[in-house]
Amino acid sequence: MRAPLRDIAWRLAGLFRRGRMERRLDDEMRFHLEMLAERYTNAGLPLAEARRRALAEFGGTERFKDAARDEYRSRLVDELGQDVRYAARVLRHNPGFTMAAALTFALGIGASTAVFSVVNSVLLRSLPYTDPDRLVVVWERHAGRGVERNVVAVDNFEAWRERSRSFAGMAGLVPLPATIAGAPNPERVIGAEVSPGYFKLLGVRPALGREFSAEEESGGGANVLVLSDAFWRSHFGADSSVLGRTLPIDGRAHTIVGVMPPTFEPPRFFWLSEQVFWRPFGPTESNRSWGRFLLVVARLEDGATIEAARREMAAVTDGLAREKSSNHGWSASVTTLESEITGEVRSPLLVLLGCVGLLLLMAIANVTNLTLALTRRRAHELAVRRAIGATSWRLVRQLVTQSAVVGALGGIIGAAVAVASVRGLIVLLPPEIPRADAIRVDGAVLTFMVIAAAGASLVVGLVSALRALPAGVATTLGETSGRSARRLRGGSLVTAEIALGLVLTVLAGLMVRTFVALRAVDVGFETDRVVAARVGLSGPRYSSPDARSAFFAGLLEQLRTTPGVQAAGLISTRPFGGAGPATTVADADARTVGDSLTADVRFADGEVFQALRIPLLAGGLFGARDRPDGSPRVVINEILARTLWPGGNPIGRRLRLEMFNGITPEVIGVVGDVHLRDVRTPPRPTAYLADATFPSEVRDLIVRGRGDVPALVATVRATVRGLDATVPVYETEALEMVIGRALARDRFTTMLLGGFALVALLLAGVGIYGVFAADVAERRKEIGIRVALGAPARGVVQLVMRRAANRALTGVAAGAIAALLAARGMKSMLFGVESTDPTSFLGVAVLLLLVAFVATLVPAVRASRVSPLVALRTD
Amino acid sequence: MADKGKGDVLQGTLDMLVLKSLQLGPMHGWGITERLEVGSERVLQVGQGSLYPALYRLERQGYIASEWGLTGNNRQARYYKLTSAGRKRLAEERATWARMSRAVDLVLQMGDG
Repeated sequence: MRAPLRDIAWRLAGLFRRGRMERRLDDEMRFHLEMLAERYTNAGLPLAEARRRALAEFGGTERFKDAARDEYRSRLVDELGQDVRYAARVLRHNPGFTMAAALTFALGIGASTAVFSVVNSVLLRSLPYTDPDRLVVVWERHAGRGVERNVVAVDNFEAWRERSRSFAGMAGLVPLPATIAGAPNPERVIGAEVSPGYFKLLGVRPALGREFSAEEESGGGANVLVLSDAFWRSHFGADSSVLGRTLPIDGRAHTIVGVMPPTFEPPRFFWLSEQVFWRPFGPTESNRSWGRFLLVVARLEDGATIEAARREMAAVTDGLAREKSSNHGWSASVTTLESEITGEVRSPLLVLLGCVGLLLLMAIANVTNLTLALTRRRAHELAVRRAIGATSWRLVRQLVTQSAVVGALGGIIGAAVAVASVRGLIVLLPPEIPRADAIRVDGAVLTFMVIAAAGASLVVGLVSALRALPAGVATTLGETSGRSARRLRGGSLVTAEIALGLVLTVLAGLMVRTFVALRAVDVGFETDRVVAARVGLSGPRYSSPDARSAFFAGLLEQLRTTPGVQAAGLISTRPFGGAGPATTVADADARTVGDSLTADVRFADGEVFQALRIPLLAGGLFGARDRPDGSPRVVINEILARTLWPGGNPIGRRLRLEMFNGITPEVIGVVGDVHLRDVRTPPRPTAYLADATFPSEVRDLIVRGRGDVPALVATVRATVRGLDATVPVYETEALEMVIGRALARDRFTTMLLGGFALVALLLAGVGIYGVFAADVAERRKEIGIRVALGAPARGVVQLVMRRAANRALTGVAAGAIAALLAARGMKSMLFGVESTDPTSFLGVAVLLLLVAFVATLVPAVRASRVSPLVALRTD
Repeated sequence: MADKGKGDVLQGTLDMLVLKSLQLGPMHGWGITERLEVGSERVLQVGQGSLYPALYRLERQGYIASEWGLTGNNRQARYYKLTSAGRKRLAEERATWARMSRAVDLVLQMGDG
C-alpha cells in the first residue's frame, strides 16, 4: 500500500523539482565520468586522452540521461503538459470558437451552479439541530374532511404527551405577535410561545443563560423570556449582563433568562415565521377552550420509527375520539420537521434544478457541435499527425485536454456568472422560502461547479473525439471536399437540441399559463386603493374590553369622516394575512348532527365588507346592536349558507360554533365567498362574528380611499397617532401588494423557467444554425454540381430544409414524450391548466419548428447562391 | 522507453546485484560498478546506461535511499544505502534466485548422470 504512494510522491517530486533532479543527474554523471577518466590516468594515459576514452566508454550522455529521467518522472504527466500547451495554441488560433464555446459553457455551468446553491442551502443542507431526522411534527387529522395536517387542541396535546411512548419529547408552540412598549416608539415584534423543553428537544442551547424550566409551564407560562441573538444585539447592544433584566411584552414585565446563539435558526413552517423571542407556553383553562391552534414538534424516541409513532398515535387518538365528542372523526398524522420546513418549495426547486440541468445539457451539445466543426476543419492536420505516428489514444487525449481547457475557461467565467446570479436569485426569491439567508456559494456549491465543468468537458472531448477520429488516415488525407450525399454530421445533436428545448419550453409554457390563471382568479374582494394596517393595543389602559371597543370605535369614526376615505372597517385577520381560527359548525336547530363541518372564523365589523367590496347577498351586516354584552350574531359566506341550508333561507336561523365552549349566534346576513388564505386555495365555509361582541387588542384596519395609496397610509398613521401615540401601527401595506406577495413563488418559478426557456431557444437556434451552416459549407461542391445541372434555387433550399425538417420533427416527437413525463412531475405546481395541456404542447412544438426553420433558412439560402463554378474548381 | 526491448531477464538480476553490493555498506554509483566487477572477477560488466536507471528505480520503490557524501579523496558523490525494505527484498530475491538456479541446474543435468 505504501510503495505505490511513495512511487507517486517520487514522480511528483521529480515533476515539480525537475531542476533539482536534472542537476543531481548531471552531478552523478560527471562524477562517474571523472572516476572513469581517473582509472585511465592511473593506467598512465594523459588526461585529455583519458577523458576522451571515458566519454566514449560512457556512451551517449543524452541517451543515458533520458533513460534515467524516465525513472523519476511520469511520461503521462509530461505529455499532459504538451497537450495543454497544444490546446492553448489551437484555442488561441481560433478565438471565435474559444469565445463561443467558453461563453456557452459559462452560461450552462453558471446557471446550474446558481440554482444548485439555492437547492443546496434550502433542501440539501441538514437542519441545524441535533439529529434533525428524528424531529417530527404531529398534527391532528380529519380524514372525513380530507384534512391531513391540522393544528392541535391544547387538551389533545396534553393527552398525546401523556399517553404516547414513541417520543422522547413533545413541545407545543404558537406564534406570539406582541408589542414591546418603549419610548418614543412602541414596537411590534413576533415571537413564539413554546413548551419548556422545546430547545432541548431541538438539541440547541442558549448561548447565555438557560431555557425554560418545567415549573415555568404552570399558569399559562411564567413571565420569562429567551431572546434571539439578533434582538439581543439590536436592543441590548449584545450586553452580556442582560440576564435578569425585564422587558415589557404586551404590558407585562418579562424577565430575560436566556439568549440564543447566532447560529440558531428557529423552525419556520405553517404559521411560524421569523421569531425574535420565546416565552413559555402552558395549558390553561382558557386556552383549552380555544379550539385547535397549537403546532406540535416532537423528537422520536431512540429506536422508534416514524411508522411506529404513526401506529401509536392512531391508537391514542382512537381513545381520545371515543372519550370526547369534539374529537369525533379526528386522528393524528406525523410528518418530518424537514418536510414541513422545506415541503412547499421542494418541488418548484427540484423542477428548476432539473430544468437548469437540461440547459447544461444543451450547452454541452452546442459546445460539442462547435468542437466537432473545429476538429473537422483540422481534419487534415490530425490525419498528418496520425500518419507520422501519433496514436489514436494520444489524439483522443489531446481533444479531451482541449475541451478541458475550454471547460476550465467556461468554469471560471461560470463561477462569476454563478456568484452574480446567486445575488440576483436571492433578491428575486419569494420571501417565504425557508433558510434563504443561508444561501451562499460554499464548498459544496464549488464542488458541484467543478464536477459540472469537468463532466461537461469530458463529454464534449470524448464525443467529439469519437466522432471526429474514426475517419481513417488514408481517407482524410486523400479526401477532397467532393463528398456527395452523405449523412448529415451533427444530425443527432439537432434532434437532441430540439427535444431538450421543447421540454424546457413546455414546462415554462405550463408555468406561464398557471401564472396567468392565478392572476385571473377572482379572490372575492377588491384590492385597489385599499390599505390594510394592523393596530395593536396593549398595556393597562386597554385591559378592559370596553376600552378596546371605545378606541377602535373612535378610530373608525374619525377615519370615516376624513376626506378621501370611502370606507373603514375592522377584521381579525386580513385576507391573505395568514391562518386564522377555524371551528366546527352546524345548524343549531338540526336534530341529527350530520357530517361535522369546519368553518374559518373571522371577527369583523359591518363596514369591512364595504371596504373590501365583498358583496352582501342576503340579510344585513353588523351594526349598533352588536355590543360586548349583546347576544352574538353571525354573517356567513355563500358556501356555508348553501352547505347548511341548501335551498332554504339562512337568515334568522342559528349557527352552532364549537368555539368559546359552544355558541349559537343568529345568522343575519350572507356575503360573497372570499379567498382568505391564498389564491390557489378555493374559498372555504366562513363565519364572520361581530368584532364589537368579541373585542380584541389586535385588529386589521381595512381602509378604502378615493385617492392614492401612500396618502391613505399617511392618513391612517396620523389618525392613530392623533388618538394615542403609544399605539403601534404595523404591517401597513396596499392590499394589492398582498396579492402580489401571495403569488411571489409562482412568479419566481415562472420567471426563472421563462428565462431558461428563452436561453434554451437561443441555444437550440444557434446549435441548429451551426450544424447546417457547416453542412452547407461542406457540400458546396455537390450543391454546385446540382446548380450546374440546372437545379433551381428553390430546389436547393428544399434540399437543405428537408434534412432539417426530418431532424426537427424527430426532435419534437422525442421532446414531446419527455415533456409529458416531466410535466407530470410538476403537477402540484400547476393551477388552472392540465399537465397535458394541448395548447402549450402544440404551441411550443410550432415555436420550436419555427426556430429550426429560421436557423436553417440562412444556410439554405446561402446554399442556393452557390455558384456552379464551384463544381469545376478543385481544392 | 528504456525498459522496453532490453534483455529483461537481466534486469531483475541487476536489481538484486545492486542491492547485494549495497549490503556491504553505502556506496556511490561508480563504487557499485567497481564492487560488481571485482566481486564477479570481471565477468559482470554493468553499463552506466542500466546502472543509474536501476538506482533511480530502486530508490523510487523505496529499497534504497541516497544522500550526498564525500569520497575518500574529498569528492562530492551521491551515496546509496540499503533500506530495511531493500534488505527484505534482497533476501526474497536471493531465495528466488537460489530456487531458479537450482531448477536450471537440475534441467541441465538431466541425463548426465
